[in-house]
Amino acid sequence: MKEKPATVFVVDDDEAVRTSLRLLLKSVGLPVETFASAQEFLDQFDPNRAGCLVLDIRMPGMSGLELQQQLNDRHSIMPIVFITGHGDVPMAVEAMQAGAVDFIQKPFRDQDLIDRINRALEKDREMRAALRERDEIRRRMSQLTPREREVLELVTQGKANKVIAGDLNVSQRTVEIHRARVMEKMGANSLAHLVRMVIEANREG
Amino acid sequence: MTDLPEPGAAASGASVAELELRAVLDAAVDAVVIIDACGHIETFSRAAERLFGYSAAEVIGRNVTVLMPEPFRSQHDGYLRHHIDTGERRIIGKGREVVAQRRDGSLFPVFLSVGRIASLDPPRFVGLISDITDRKRAVEALRRERDRAQAYLDLAEVMLLAIDANGTISLVNRKGCEILGWPEDELVGRNWFASCLPPELRADVEGMFRHFFEGTAAPAQYAEHDVLTRGGERKLIAWRNAVLRDERGLVIGTLSSGEDITEQRRAIEALRKSEQLLRDAQSIAKLGNFELRLPDGTAYWSMQMHAILGTDPSGGAPPMAEYAERCIHPGDRDRIVEAWTRLTADEEPLDVEYRILRPDASVRHVHSIARMARDGEGRLQVVGTLHDITDRKHAQEEIRQTQERLTQFARLSTMGEMAAGLAHEINQPLTAITNYAQALQRLLAAPAVAEPGDVELALSQIAAQALRAGEIIRRLRSFVKNREAQTEVVDAARLIGDLMAFAEPDARLNDIRIRVESEPDLPRVACDPVQIQQVLLNLIRNAIDATNEAGPANREITLRTRRVEGGALEVSVEDRGAGISAEVAQNLGNPFFTTKSAGTGLGIAISRSILRAHGGRLAHRPTPGGGATVFFTLPAMPGSDK
Repeated sequence: MKEKPATVFVVDDDEAVRTSLRLLLKSVGLPVETFASAQEFLDQFDPNRAGCLVLDIRMPGMSGLELQQQLNDRHSIMPIVFITGHGDVPMAVEAMQAGAVDFIQKPFRDQDLIDRINRALEKDREMRAALRERDEIRRRMSQLTPREREVLELVTQGKANKVIAGDLNVSQRTVEIHRARVMEKMGANSLAHLVRMVIEANREG
Repeated sequence: MTDLPEPGAAASGASVAELELRAVLDAAVDAVVIIDACGHIETFSRAAERLFGYSAAEVIGRNVTVLMPEPFRSQHDGYLRHHIDTGERRIIGKGREVVAQRRDGSLFPVFLSVGRIASLDPPRFVGLISDITDRKRAVEALRRERDRAQAYLDLAEVMLLAIDANGTISLVNRKGCEILGWPEDELVGRNWFASCLPPELRADVEGMFRHFFEGTAAPAQYAEHDVLTRGGERKLIAWRNAVLRDERGLVIGTLSSGEDITEQRRAIEALRKSEQLLRDAQSIAKLGNFELRLPDGTAYWSMQMHAILGTDPSGGAPPMAEYAERCIHPGDRDRIVEAWTRLTADEEPLDVEYRILRPDASVRHVHSIARMARDGEGRLQVVGTLHDITDRKHAQEEIRQTQERLTQFARLSTMGEMAAGLAHEINQPLTAITNYAQALQRLLAAPAVAEPGDVELALSQIAAQALRAGEIIRRLRSFVKNREAQTEVVDAARLIGDLMAFAEPDARLNDIRIRVESEPDLPRVACDPVQIQQVLLNLIRNAIDATNEAGPANREITLRTRRVEGGALEVSVEDRGAGISAEVAQNLGNPFFTTKSAGTGLGIAISRSILRAHGGRLAHRPTPGGGATVFFTLPAMPGSDK
């Protein structure tokens, strides 16, 4: 299945604002999908779709902040740019603490919004790339034998081959063979590279 | 001693002495009667015969008592005996008036003098009797004359007082005695100055009288001064004086008439005081009074009338027509003249407020009340008052303006609380406009991106959103601008629709839903729509605060309009907050009482006064299931009942 291009999802209860945003983003060549309520967006939410969320912080029914909470609960990584009004700074701060990438006050200069959206899309891209890399590392790790995993563990703790041989009660030569296989299976070109991959694999999420 | 010879028988053997005696007796004008020690008549003169109607022959030898009436007749013998036995003299040598009796029995007054012929033993007595009937009559006439004069004096309702040159009271009438408190007999003969004048006046008044008596000054025709009564009381007397002169023209005394004007003076003083009091009271109250006699139109104005109208009191009171022309403000003139006509023609009481124009061109407000009445003589007249109420008018106007400013202030204050919501509301179209405009710029720069209709949509939406923002601002302006209260016929549904433009953004901002429930066929009401919206906004604002504070699961406010008993319109705002505590309910509507940290405490107080001015009322009740319902009623317009 061909992956859809990164999309800007706009959620705003005010039709005029919603429609104008759609046209504005379209004019700079960004794919846009608009939703009149948080619930409407949630109903079709697909965590695998790339893009970012432009979210009105105040809405009747489910507010922007509540939607952010729901997405966090679903481990969504989609970056959120909040649109706020005057006097909504406390809510914006709350949104930032909950992981939003940015916020912008209405009315705004188009370039400011587009810059924020582009940054968000960039972040989404990076996040998705990082996720893909971690998945690859985890896949490679899963191909190691139990003995190889033990050796990987001890190597990344910075132990010398001789020490590892002692710990595992095998010959130093055997350790060297296992170590070479681990490096090969993991696709690591240096010890430092291998350590970075292990840290990445152990990251939450 | 032998009997005296008979009259007419004188020649026969009488001695010369006897003849001479006879001649004396007969010539004497007074009657001569001689009696013996037993009272028997011995000699009876001719004059006696004439006087008593007896001839000598008839009475000689008879007891002299025939010449006197009872009781003297019975007592005479006793007197005579007593005198002879004791020698005591009662009448002898003195003479006195007694009553005598004629032969025909008639009585008459006589002067009797008795002499005793002492050389004889037993003694004889000579009685000389003169008829004093005429003298008596003259004296009696004189006495009567005097009594009449006294009666005249006594009749006079003034004191009449004569003082002689020594200052002694020689005459005073009954009224004088009454005033001074003395019996007449005690007063006559006293020194006037010492007895009847207060000490501090004595010297002066006496000195003045002295001048009269010495002829060095004529008495003042009229004088007033106090006198002292016997009881020590003072009385004010008005005196008229005249001097009495003898035949040579010398002053022998004064005659004065004195009138006791104590009461009169007291009454005049009391009247003067009460008039002064009335004048002062009118001046303080700025209240004048007037009378107008009909039909001639002569008028009386109190001083305060002139003071109010700024007219000259010496000019008197002008007739009504001139008053209307000169003093009544042209804008009120016709109305007042009409009311005045109804008063005088139909006796309809006058009760009007109008403006007056003073000569200095200043304008003042007056309240006049007048009615028809009859004076003491039954003549028809108008009586009325004119009250200067300018200060009250100004105060009322000031209160009205203050109230209006306060209402305005409260409206701004309510609007201030809703400002965030409204700012948001205006921000929406502005954001949309900005977005469309910027999108258009980009589309113009890169036409390839544009789809058909994009440009048209953007342009029409820019126009529409600008209008949307303008509409919100227009409503806001009409709501907060300084304005006078005005009443119009209002459709309740429309009023609430307009109101929601303000209320909804605020509610949305607070994540609260406002549910509007209106009955169909609502009555039409006459009201000031802005003021009623102000009340409603205030109630909704309060409901929003109550909702935020209590944080109920159901964040909803219900705005309900319905027709209640009597056809009135009821508008209620129901929240689901914590409700109104008894303590808060007690203070609800007291100015400056507030439960909010930033509240003015004026919202409910002003809402109440707005509704009172509309003939409606504001009240509250619990919302079923929790919360407060605050509601108000407005009377339906007559005829709006279907």
